[in-house]
Amino acid sequence: MTSFSLTTRLTLFYTLVSALVLLGLGWLTSAAMNQHFDALDRAGLQDKIHLIEEVGAKAESKSDLQKRLADVLHSHEGLIVTLQTNGQTLFATEALKIPDAAIKNLSQESKTQKLFNWETKDHQYRALGALISTPLIGDEVLTLWVVLDSKLHAHFQEHFRFTLAIYVILATVFSGLLGWLAAKQGLAPLRIMKSRAQAVTSNKMGERMPVKTVPVEMADLAQTLNDMLDRLQEDFRRLSEFSSDLAHELRTPISNLLTETQVTLSSKRSNTEYEDVLASNSEELQRLARMVSDMLFLAKTENGLTLPSQETIAIATQAQALFDFYEALAFEKGIYLALTGEGLISGDRLMLRRALSNLLSNALRHATIGTTVSIKVETINDKVQVSVINHGSMISEEMLPRLFDRFFRVDKSRAHPHSDGAGLGLAITRAIMRAHGGGVTVTSRLGETCFSLIFPKIDTDNHAINAND
Amino acid sequence: MKILIVEDEPKTGEYLRKGLKEASFVVDLSSDGIDGLHNALEGEYDLILLDVMLPGMDGWEVMRNLRQKGNEVPVLFLTAKDQIEDRVKGLELGADDYLVKPFSFAELLARVRTILRRGKPSVEASIIKVADLELDLLRRRVSRAGKRIELTSKEFGLLELLMRRQGEVLPRSLIASQVWDMNFDSDTNVIEVAVRRLRSKIDDAYEPKLLQTVRGMGYVIESPLQSSC
Repeated sequence: MTSFSLTTRLTLFYTLVSALVLLGLGWLTSAAMNQHFDALDRAGLQDKIHLIEEVGAKAESKSDLQKRLADVLHSHEGLIVTLQTNGQTLFATEALKIPDAAIKNLSQESKTQKLFNWETKDHQYRALGALISTPLIGDEVLTLWVVLDSKLHAHFQEHFRFTLAIYVILATVFSGLLGWLAAKQGLAPLRIMKSRAQAVTSNKMGERMPVKTVPVEMADLAQTLNDMLDRLQEDFRRLSEFSSDLAHELRTPISNLLTETQVTLSSKRSNTEYEDVLASNSEELQRLARMVSDMLFLAKTENGLTLPSQETIAIATQAQALFDFYEALAFEKGIYLALTGEGLISGDRLMLRRALSNLLSNALRHATIGTTVSIKVETINDKVQVSVINHGSMISEEMLPRLFDRFFRVDKSRAHPHSDGAGLGLAITRAIMRAHGGGVTVTSRLGETCFSLIFPKIDTDNHAINAND
Repeated sequence: MKILIVEDEPKTGEYLRKGLKEASFVVDLSSDGIDGLHNALEGEYDLILLDVMLPGMDGWEVMRNLRQKGNEVPVLFLTAKDQIEDRVKGLELGADDYLVKPFSFAELLARVRTILRRGKPSVEASIIKVADLELDLLRRRVSRAGKRIELTSKEFGLLELLMRRQGEVLPRSLIASQVWDMNFDSDTNVIEVAVRRLRSKIDDAYEPKLLQTVRGMGYVIESPLQSSC
């Protein structure tokens, strides 16, 4: 099926509606006129019947009746009167055969007589019949037919209908044209939006739909499209930033390796120097390998691959294991570790540890000496929330939403390339949380930074099954 | 100990051979699956390092053929594929371990030794010694030069691992996995700190120094008098 343009649709629709309305009006007019003529004719014919009844009442003999009737009726042009008794024509202005159907239908009740129409070759007749009686003829019933030649009326009506039809056709065509103009004019904002949309490319994402100048119905659509463009632009910006970050992050160690190796090879060195270079290369390569595996892990997790395994995990146990791991580091930095609360979640143990480990390692890195880094497990409504809280340097408001971007670092100077990761830790944490159907949030105020992992509360039925296993 | 390496990438194969030879293994190298399977069936090997993506016949196929013919030689898969399914598949086919490329040589060596040690009736000594450092597994006590040293349980675990594998360079990732059950690349800094703290207790006040850092590779405990094996 070809789909018509909106303009065509509107024009067709408008034309159809106009045609229907005009046809309806034409039919109504024509019907009203018919009715009017019918009523007019009936009144005229009934008048004549009364007149003839009166004449019949005054007549003294049959011939007197015939004479009187001829006198009365001779001035009425186009009027035919026949008066019959027992099939014998008593009086007739001219010879006219009344159709049998009409005679059959003639009933005793003269008041409810139907107008009877018929046509011959040259004439159109309209007749009203009546059964009358006169004292002159005694008890015999006379059949009276008053007939009007309605050729003139019919002619006029025909002409009128023809004119009406021409008018209806012309008016329909004209309103179709108007409809087309209106649709074209009304849809002009759509064409503007189309040309705007055509102008949007990857290099020119700034183009927006007009919201103020388009009609209300479209303003909503335009606004929705603009919002979509905003989101796309933001995603696109992040993606390009990510690509350039990725290129930078991968090139730096490779370029270090190349330079270091080639400078070393350029002249003879002592064994110790060679060893140093190789060890340094090894470190650099490990960093590279870790980054690549982190990137792959992120890609896999973000692409929504199912969790490697799903089990019921006690968070407190995992947090305690992580405390054991970070204990030495915390002790060296003079930081205390504290755990409060407990809770169960459903997920992959290794991934959960990794997510929590990233947060804990960040917290330890940014905590002030002598403070406590704490993990707090709470059940809030239908969520299990695991918060890692540290006291120390704050993260500014505008940095917060970008913390979870890949390669994002608060400290852009990269002064400590070895202790800081590649800036993938929080991105990995977020990806892990999404894979678990949860999320991660961060707040930083009054010297306290708090990262919260939010898990959907464990399904109790599911949990029961696991517990029975 | 005889090891067969089946690896089609010439540089990788050559370096693996060199490294393992220097760790005093006897090493053969095959560069495709068919050749590799033939060698594996003919030669009496203690371990096979098997690449998955191979010309002629892939690693899975080699593995399957090997087991079908009743050969029970331990196999360690080396592969760039790290999907869980691949890992499971490899292990289901009867492989002993699985290492994802890129791996550090120290890690490979540590795993090779673990596999080779496995299945051998090891005399479980309750006291492990390196020079004058003594670790009593039953009483969970450590002493050096006769003096008692107090260690936390994780420090004890770390020292036990290093002493059981004395002379072997243990990479940080292996230490994290064995001692703390952290099976992902985490802050390597943490292991550094833990080792540093252990060293301050067992080495700082004594001579000779036993706990060595091998830069770019990992940590090793060995008596300077012993030659590394």
